[in-house]
Amino acid sequence: MSVRFRLLLLIASTIILLPAVVVLALGMPAFGAHPLPYGDAINRDAPGQRHISNMVSAVNFDYRGFDTMGEEFMLVTAVTGAVMLLRGTRGESPGAEPEEVPGRSVQPAGEAIVLICRLMLPVSLLFGIYVVLHATATPGGGFQGGVIIASAVLLLYLGDGYRVWRSIVRSRLLHLCEGGAAAAFVLTGLVPMLLGHAFLENILPTGQFRDMLAGWLMQIENLAVAFAVAGGFAMLFLEFLEETRAPKGEE
Amino acid sequence: MTAAMLPPLPVALPMLIAAVLLTLAHVWPRRVPDTIAALTALAVTSIGLLLLLRAAGGPITYWFGQWEPRDGVVLGISFQVDQVGAAMVTLIGILFTGSFVFAWGFFDEVHAVFHVLMLMFMAALSGFCLTHDLFNMFVWFEVMSVAAFALTAYRLEASALEAGLNFTVTNSLASFFMLAGIALIYSIGGTLDFSALAGVVGRSGGNPVILASFCLLLAGLLIKAAMVPFQLWLADAHALAPSPVCVIFSGAMVTLGLYGASKLAWQVFGSDPVIRAGAQHVMLAMGVASTIVGGVMCVTQRHVKRLLAFSTISHTGIMLIGCSIFTAQGQAGTVLYMLGHGLVKGALFMTAGILLATCGGIDEIGLRGLGRQIRPAGIAMAGGGLLLAGAPVGLMQHGTTLIETAAAAAGRGWVAGVMILGGALTGGAVLRVTGRIFLGLGALPGEEDRSPTEAEQEASDRPLWLMLTPCASLLALSLAAPSSVETFALRAITPFIGAPAASLQSPPAASSHDYLPWLTVMLALLIAAYDLSRQHLPGMLIAAADASFRPLHALLEAWHSGLVGDYVAWIVFGLALVAGCITWLAIV
Amino acid sequence: MIDLLPWLVTAWLMAVGLYGIVTSRNYVHLIGCLTVVQSATYVLLLAIGYRWNAGPPIFYDHPPGTPAVDPVVQALVLTDIVVGATVSALLLALALQLHKKKGSLDPEALRPMR
Repeated sequence: MSVRFRLLLLIASTIILLPAVVVLALGMPAFGAHPLPYGDAINRDAPGQRHISNMVSAVNFDYRGFDTMGEEFMLVTAVTGAVMLLRGTRGESPGAEPEEVPGRSVQPAGEAIVLICRLMLPVSLLFGIYVVLHATATPGGGFQGGVIIASAVLLLYLGDGYRVWRSIVRSRLLHLCEGGAAAAFVLTGLVPMLLGHAFLENILPTGQFRDMLAGWLMQIENLAVAFAVAGGFAMLFLEFLEETRAPKGEE
Repeated sequence: MTAAMLPPLPVALPMLIAAVLLTLAHVWPRRVPDTIAALTALAVTSIGLLLLLRAAGGPITYWFGQWEPRDGVVLGISFQVDQVGAAMVTLIGILFTGSFVFAWGFFDEVHAVFHVLMLMFMAALSGFCLTHDLFNMFVWFEVMSVAAFALTAYRLEASALEAGLNFTVTNSLASFFMLAGIALIYSIGGTLDFSALAGVVGRSGGNPVILASFCLLLAGLLIKAAMVPFQLWLADAHALAPSPVCVIFSGAMVTLGLYGASKLAWQVFGSDPVIRAGAQHVMLAMGVASTIVGGVMCVTQRHVKRLLAFSTISHTGIMLIGCSIFTAQGQAGTVLYMLGHGLVKGALFMTAGILLATCGGIDEIGLRGLGRQIRPAGIAMAGGGLLLAGAPVGLMQHGTTLIETAAAAAGRGWVAGVMILGGALTGGAVLRVTGRIFLGLGALPGEEDRSPTEAEQEASDRPLWLMLTPCASLLALSLAAPSSVETFALRAITPFIGAPAASLQSPPAASSHDYLPWLTVMLALLIAAYDLSRQHLPGMLIAAADASFRPLHALLEAWHSGLVGDYVAWIVFGLALVAGCITWLAIV
Repeated sequence: MIDLLPWLVTAWLMAVGLYGIVTSRNYVHLIGCLTVVQSATYVLLLAIGYRWNAGPPIFYDHPPGTPAVDPVVQALVLTDIVVGATVSALLLALALQLHKKKGSLDPEALRPMR
């Protein structure tokens, strides 16, 4: 089918959908002024019930914690899948050199870049850990923090180059990080259940309001998410960067 | 462990095992992941059966995190296990058990990665069946998609990669449509729980936002179910994914799209008359179109897995027709059909996998007569073909009977004709393949008949009996249906459709259309015989038949172009059709 | 008008994203368009949870009971973002392998064999 035919199809669909969209936009509840019973109930109850001040984390790790479990496994599944797809034909070899494409010169990183990267690495790591730990008190959490941590490790590649990055970041460790964290999340659900409570029920003491470590079980889930996200994203970086290494043999 | 702990287990158990397998992916000895995965699937099957027994007294509601509704506000997520959901979980468990046994030793080179992905897939499918929360449903929908995307492209051939890309793009759009639909209904109802949402729909009937929400959700789920005009992605993905994965795709994943759509239509939107009428029309039209398009495409294929893929479209179309009737009987028939079709189609994809492993190919013409050494596989395939065609035994037949009676009661007796056509075309195609490959019937292939597809082969060092056992077991299970299964389905369906038990109907008298199944089987045999004996038939007849059939075939083949742009354009068009139909009904 | 704006932006993002996918001649561009369609869902969800003159749903600096926007949709968007990231990663991995095999990313040029 030609592009023209596709466009005709799109135009026909637009003609049908456009009035529907207009009616829909006019029929939507008033922006910013309609009732939000679910969110209000959580805003009202969660500080008292769970002693934490970040309501988004309360939803993520307690009220709708089961969604987050699915979400974490979605990430693990996607990373596992991407690793399988990327590693499929080339395998893995930690000792390989980066590929040199003729005509594209690979210049060694300048000293200033190396220095900045080495300085920024611990700072970024620290910031990532800070964001992870403040999941229940202030804006923050395992997802955001985990991504920051994984990106911080990427500074190694930027400053010290492929070989150093590759010698420090090992895929087995990352698998352990990812899979172990995912298993831990399921256990936060299963253990309360085996103790006679509901799956994912928050049975630990919930601590002091506004305290960094309030909402104990949530903290464990949060840490599990942080490890899984950090491990998963680092794994993705690793596999995509592996694509730049010199192919061995006939390939 | 007590029985009250059962509902989360079909999800939590495979997830835990998957995580553990992943953690130590490098250290497992060769057969350990195979064993663990198969045992987990078996455990899910038994949990499904236990749930089926326990849900007999009424649906079991399980609140995660003990967040039961307070003051009428639903705070958490719940599973609601009715017998239909439990039966689907059992089907999923059975299919995965079969698939893991069938794939024994298939995926050695990727360590446990295949098993991790498959276990995640199983957890997501089970969660999708049991959940009673709209956003949670989306989460499982997405997890199952992500696992499926990665598994499709496992072979890393160019065509498999492209099929994977197109599959990912189209099905991601499906999940975005779904999410937009969820957001819209949340803006009106401020809740995500099915029962609470049903109350909202009941209170604010005819609201355009709710209509739009239903359109988007329906479109999203029907993309997953691959119904015309959303069906384009399916054939590529099914033809190129590894056979053990196809067993799940065809047997469970596609069907679950439909299961989700009918669940929402009954349990959330059921009280809105406009939506009900709209859904009836849309589902009927799409179901009929899918049955016919799938059947015609099926009978013209020579790549056996692609052929089976189109037969899945055709049979899912029949299920959609069953959903569109919107009566307890029609829905009960659909559920039986889903279960039976899952088992039969799973077995058929396994026979295709056996061909790939032992004969080193999947092209019907190229394999002519090569299947003589593996006759048991041929018997299995012939059995599957007869069941697809509608032989009067087994689960699928019970489903067909219920759907046909329900359609006749709703004044749409003509759909029986469409169902016969679909069954005859797909069954005929499978029987033709069996005849050509296992009996060496049909004309000798000439030079110009060489396979147009790239050479394919799947791990060939697996013993035949190990591949045949799960295949035969699935077929046996689909046959081992007592005649009381119709009564059972009608009883099980009442909580699913939220109907009071008083409206229970008795199962139809079996003698109403005794000749119908035989008619379909005869038609299927005729279609197979026609193709296999072309060289003996008078040339005039062949030329006339070809001339009348070829334009339709060329048009349909051009439609399935393999271009993602076309696929998405048709998806948008399909959404417009769904929305247009429902808007029209709302105005009139 | 401002009341309609979020809904119209949502529809617009979805429309341009779909147009981009339908006419795309490069898979990487196409993946970008897919994320545009997805951004429509972010806008929609966040707009639904918005409330005039309300703060963030975090009661650290101001006490519980202060008007706040809906935390549930924000949690849903977080899931949505993870969906986006995972799907993009998978798609890019597929596109990369495809480019290695065929040397092209143009869907028209890659028309599969039948």
